Amino acid sequence: MTIKMDKKERNSTLFVLGGILLFIVFILNIGLGSVKINVDEIFKILVSDSDVNKSHASIIMNIRLPRTMATLLGGACLATSGLLLQIFFGNPIVEPFILGISSGSNLFVGLVMLGGVTFGMGTINSMGMFIGSFIGAMLVMIAVIFASQKVKNITTLLVVGLMFGYICSSITSVLTALANHEKISKFTMWTMGSFAGFKWADIKLLYIMGLPFLLLAFFMSKPLNSMLLGEKYAQSMGISINKFRFLMVLVSSVLTAVVTAFAGPVSFIGLAVPHIVRISFKTSNNRVIIPAACIYGAIMAGLCDLISRIILAPTEIPIGAITSIIGAPMVVFLLVRKKGSEF
Amino acid sequence: MNTIMSAKGLDVGYENKTVISDINIEAIKGQIICLLGPNGAGKSTILRTLSGLLSPVKGFVEIDGANISRIKQKNIAKKLSLVLTDNVSPSLTTVNEIVAMGRIPYTGFMGKLTENDWNIVKESLEMVGAYDLRERYYSQLSDGEKQKVMIARALVQEPELMILDEPTSHLDIKHKIEIIRVLQRLANEKQITCILSLHDIDIALKGCQTVLLVNNGVIVAQGAPEDIVKNGCIQKLYGISGAKYNELLGSVEFVGNSIADIFVTGGNSTGINIYRALSRNGYGINAGVLHENDTDFQVAKIICSEVVTEIPFEPISNEKVQKAMQFIKYSKCVIDTGFPIGSGNKGNVKILNYALTINKPVLSIRDKSECHKIYGENSEKVIYCDGIFSLLKCIRKILENNDLFSKAV
Repeated sequence: MTIKMDKKERNSTLFVLGGILLFIVFILNIGLGSVKINVDEIFKILVSDSDVNKSHASIIMNIRLPRTMATLLGGACLATSGLLLQIFFGNPIVEPFILGISSGSNLFVGLVMLGGVTFGMGTINSMGMFIGSFIGAMLVMIAVIFASQKVKNITTLLVVGLMFGYICSSITSVLTALANHEKISKFTMWTMGSFAGFKWADIKLLYIMGLPFLLLAFFMSKPLNSMLLGEKYAQSMGISINKFRFLMVLVSSVLTAVVTAFAGPVSFIGLAVPHIVRISFKTSNNRVIIPAACIYGAIMAGLCDLISRIILAPTEIPIGAITSIIGAPMVVFLLVRKKGSEF
Repeated sequence: MNTIMSAKGLDVGYENKTVISDINIEAIKGQIICLLGPNGAGKSTILRTLSGLLSPVKGFVEIDGANISRIKQKNIAKKLSLVLTDNVSPSLTTVNEIVAMGRIPYTGFMGKLTENDWNIVKESLEMVGAYDLRERYYSQLSDGEKQKVMIARALVQEPELMILDEPTSHLDIKHKIEIIRVLQRLANEKQITCILSLHDIDIALKGCQTVLLVNNGVIVAQGAPEDIVKNGCIQKLYGISGAKYNELLGSVEFVGNSIADIFVTGGNSTGINIYRALSRNGYGINAGVLHENDTDFQVAKIICSEVVTEIPFEPISNEKVQKAMQFIKYSKCVIDTGFPIGSGNKGNVKILNYALTINKPVLSIRDKSECHKIYGENSEKVIYCDGIFSLLKCIRKILENNDLFSKAV
């Protein structure tokens, strides 16, 4: 019984810590940059518009607040999506980027941005970007699932994902070659992955699509837990596997697509965060891990975005570079430290 | 009797390709039913179909009188649970958490466990003898411990029927027996029916009430193990060559070299180890005279090229002694296994004395004084060996000299 209490204490401590860190990251992201803004001023600006520095208010309300909000939710979505994929494939080293799902999004966003395909939206807008991104993610996801049923080997599956990625990027490069210069520079910026330049309309879509699906992921924690023992066991415990598989594909595709549509491919958050969370919470119980992945995913994305903005200021480097540099060695370290015995 | 699961004229397979046809099974409450057969015979396919994971090609499986394909997945889960061969090893999951997963069909939307659920988890862990493991991480357990935990998990589903695919493979003998013991307890105390596949013929025949022999796409036989597993049955089922399975002893004996150079006596189980040791080293053996009710006979009839036998409980007749002497004449050496001597097997002493008289090398496991008593003057010629190792060394020397001798001639 004592150990169970310890576990509960550990969990609540880590959740409280996560909450505090998240708040600190939020304030830092808004306060730091080429123009530094004090904490009390941030509060004043956020709470009321009277009696504040107009230019500071404008920086916060038009640039930093939307960017921070996008970064935090984006991190949560990517981490959760990665977690779902890891459970679904029973494989600790998958995430949207590795399986080529992000590349699928890339391609279809490319179609939207370069080819002018609007998916029935008339003009190119946030919704069109999202739908393109979602279709791309979903297509690759379904393809990878089909492949995963044929090949059980983890390495082969990763190679298959990689190949899907290559196919998508080669088509994307064909599109790039055919497109005009103005569109290309905008698209290239996007493919490097960045949370910069979020508009409030994008934020609205991000939150409207992202939050319900994060909640849905949390509500799926019971079948997700049963999936820890593999599909057959899950089925034998009364989970209707087809319904669950459909939901899984839908949720992780939406979560990946919604981020990729606006921020471009951001790698490794989906891979690293679930690991970090599992190891620090010392459990695989998804009722704990999903909310934890959301919080710590947001923190990691926030920190990485902050670093990408200020480390070489005034030049901003792509967030994808930072997440890879931090995320990849972290995963290697975690895998090595656990001596493989946990997998 | 209380039937929990039944299937009549069931064909199983994948995508309309039948693997095994015309399966008839009736599983009674508290029964342990075992599928035996070679690798690839389709045991797993049958088990997967019975558990509802695979749709049958023809016919249907009934649980409690209802067609399994018409029952909701969740309700099946309350009647039937599985232990699979899939090597699952979720990271950072304790035994308690794994076993608690078995409560999934009973818990609410978020899967929160009640006090009652935890009690059932505890009971199940105690039942399989894994309660001490409850706080350990599953991935750090040994194979045997893992299997017990998986059975506890299946038990937590409070099933009436448990289907286990090769639950004892990869386990050492201690854990194999423990697993079967646990299943027997479940069957007897909780009236849970177990249907399983095994590769341990011996354990299957001794531990399960009903055995189904599966091979070449059909159920070859089914019934109580004692009724269906007769002489040569296992041999045929698995298509074994180069060795024979002895159903009576439950042992595998390798068939020996057919060119026999050595004659070995025996009786009262003194021969078995020597037959095996010689055969293992590539020597061909003739044996005799053995009574047909002697355990030595059971092994000798498989390993040895020729066995001179006598009817049970009769003294060894002169005719059999003569026959054995013929074999000795053409043997390069003779071995006295140190059998106890009584009125029934005096003939064997006669045989050994004959061998000594015609100057065949006789190797004995007995000590000198005993030999002196038995063979009298002839005992001077006996070569004494104190174990299998020295016996083999002597034989090697004798046969080498013999070869030199025959080459010289």
